[in-house]
Amino acid sequence: MDDYFSSEEEEEYCSDRDALDGLENDDPDYDWVPPKGPSTKVITKESLLCAQRGDLRRVMELLSLREHHARTLLIHHRWDVEKLLAVLVERGKACLFANAGVPLTEDQDLSLPRHSTSTVMCDICMEDIPGQITTRMDCSHCYCNDCWTEHFVVKINEGQSKRIKCMAHKCNAICDEAIVRDLVRRRHPDLANKFDRFLLESYIEDNKMVKWCPSTPHCGNAIRIEEDECCEVECSCGLQFCFSCLSEPHSPCSCLMWELWSKKCRDESETVNWITVHTKPCPKCHKPVEKNGGCNLVSCICGQAFCWLCGGATGRDHTWSNIAGHSCGRYKEDQEQKSERAKRDLYRYMHYHNRYKAHLDSFKLENKLRETIQEKVSVSEEKESALRDFTWVTNGLYRLFRSRRVLLYSYPFAFYMFGEELFTDEMTDEQREIKQHLFEDQQQQLEANVERLSKFLEEPFDEYDEKKVMDVRMHVINLSVVTDTLCRKMYECIETDLLGCLALGTHNIAPYKSKGIERAAALNAKADESDKYLPLDFGKAGASELDRPSGSGSLDDSGRPTKRARTEGLVGALIDLNVPAGGY
Amino acid sequence: MIDFGRVQKELQECSKDSQASGIKVSPKADNLARLVGTIPGPIGTPYEGGTFQIDITLPDAYPFQPPKMQFATKVWHPNISSQSGAICLDILKDQWSPALTLKTALLSIQALLSAPEPDDPQDAVVAQQYLKDYQTFVGTARYWTETFAKTSALGVEEKVQRLVEMGFLESLVRSTLDAVGGDENLALEKLCSA
Repeated sequence: MDDYFSSEEEEEYCSDRDALDGLENDDPDYDWVPPKGPSTKVITKESLLCAQRGDLRRVMELLSLREHHARTLLIHHRWDVEKLLAVLVERGKACLFANAGVPLTEDQDLSLPRHSTSTVMCDICMEDIPGQITTRMDCSHCYCNDCWTEHFVVKINEGQSKRIKCMAHKCNAICDEAIVRDLVRRRHPDLANKFDRFLLESYIEDNKMVKWCPSTPHCGNAIRIEEDECCEVECSCGLQFCFSCLSEPHSPCSCLMWELWSKKCRDESETVNWITVHTKPCPKCHKPVEKNGGCNLVSCICGQAFCWLCGGATGRDHTWSNIAGHSCGRYKEDQEQKSERAKRDLYRYMHYHNRYKAHLDSFKLENKLRETIQEKVSVSEEKESALRDFTWVTNGLYRLFRSRRVLLYSYPFAFYMFGEELFTDEMTDEQREIKQHLFEDQQQQLEANVERLSKFLEEPFDEYDEKKVMDVRMHVINLSVVTDTLCRKMYECIETDLLGCLALGTHNIAPYKSKGIERAAALNAKADESDKYLPLDFGKAGASELDRPSGSGSLDDSGRPTKRARTEGLVGALIDLNVPAGGY
Repeated sequence: MIDFGRVQKELQECSKDSQASGIKVSPKADNLARLVGTIPGPIGTPYEGGTFQIDITLPDAYPFQPPKMQFATKVWHPNISSQSGAICLDILKDQWSPALTLKTALLSIQALLSAPEPDDPQDAVVAQQYLKDYQTFVGTARYWTETFAKTSALGVEEKVQRLVEMGFLESLVRSTLDAVGGDENLALEKLCSA
């Protein structure tokens, strides 16, 4: 009997191991780089130049352009290389260049003598100017240096650094940034630096795939994503945030739901409890009214008088004991319904908020578990025991945080999904009810399993004998797998059954990531320092392969830097991935 | 600082062919930053025969920033505020180029008088009327021109008559009178020197 039991356990142990392989920490290179998933990158002050240069190089090589023209094109297309190339294919080079303000015949100016000895009439100051102190732009318009400088200064101060157009009327050409820098620096070195910074930061400001990390105080980093704008990321400063709306990660809530919810909580959480105990909603305006003494005839600030006992609207004539023309015995359907409705809305909010709050509290408490569990693991490891590997504890804890998080945000989601605020016209009451049952079923299952997982993790396994520890271990492993599956299923249900059929673009939900929020990898900032100026010979751009930010088209170089950084970032970081993002 | 050298040159250039274009720019005070422009109402429009004055203020960075212009004469036009005289014209805003001049700007305003753009209105009431009831719009615009843009309107015909009697061509007399803002003596001087 004993034998049989142990062998069965052994078998289960094995299958658990297999199922849990994804959670184990021993092969991060394999585990942490999803084969096709978006890989996010941290861009620091130092690597910004390098990040920008990657895209610049690509465009320069493809179109054999000079750097400032490539930058002009990219700024015009918001640093979206793919879109830029699509325009090139669909509408041709001439159109691409003209729209962005890049002169087509860019070599024209090189053939013309820049410095001639004759004088030129500058159309701006209307003076005759010696040729040496005039400048001809790529668009072939020529004015005196003083006028150019003044024009640049005005434009930079107007915040137009990224698109300084030629001075000629209706000339769409963007001025050569080298000329701008050079002329401005002669008279206003500070402004020239400002200009450079604007150009550099355009890579972040004008790029929908890159956003500043919203940390305060600001860590100075930006995050670049590769594919899906709807995702949750972690900056190297430790802050986790939703890339779309920059607030804390909130899936499975959509950004809109989360915005509404957090506003509602701010407005109401403090007072909601007091209100329900001490007030009744006015039958006319539905505002909560407090009875501050006197008889049962209460009047609202809107002027409506009502009976405190039944909440129904009344006239104003009254005595201590009764209100003229009003008796609570009489059932007034309409008014009853109105006040019921306000009450119901409030109760509904409280229902969801209480559960949300409960999970938030558990989340915070369980965070303390990390330390106690670490102690327990240390104690256990000291013991003479066959069981030496305690990764199941940290993995279980990790799974608990992850699932608790999903559970936490599933309540605000449900509040809006099945409420009347967002989807009133999208589904019938019947459909709503079916969906709600479907969702709540899953939510309850998840909730039950999360609580069980929590319970097992809190057990003092360091005091147990080996057999009992094995028992706890088995449960933790099982429950980890179950909760992970349930979380995944809940996201699937939301995506296909709940939101899928509603034809709504506004509710994008960051996908479920079993391993938690992805920590952005440092961009391979091994910038070729010597390469301050871009090589003119683009044929020898071999070195750029490595530090090119993995463009979405190039598969072969996308993995390498990611993996390397991941491995470094992982040392002792497994549990950190699940620490609440702060700001609760 | 305003490039006063350029402003001086612009004023000279403008006065050179003010007879042909009918467009005049003259300083309000002696500091050249405040000027007054005058444009004749385009022929074939409800503004025909009117003389419109435009207040011009030059910003410090002129000509690298657009001059501020607004009608001093009341005018009924979809792109000009009937209250303040503010003008909705792209080259006075983001489409300004330092290569443009006060004269070209005034010419553009004159062109705007001929070709209103009711889809991009400054004065919503006027624009509504322009789109829904064009006849009434023309009537109102003409009435405003008569009332506000021809202060010396009554006297003009007499002046024209007197000058024609002196032996000048009527068309030349009219354009000259317009160019000098209705001043009979100035017109006579010009006619004689021409």
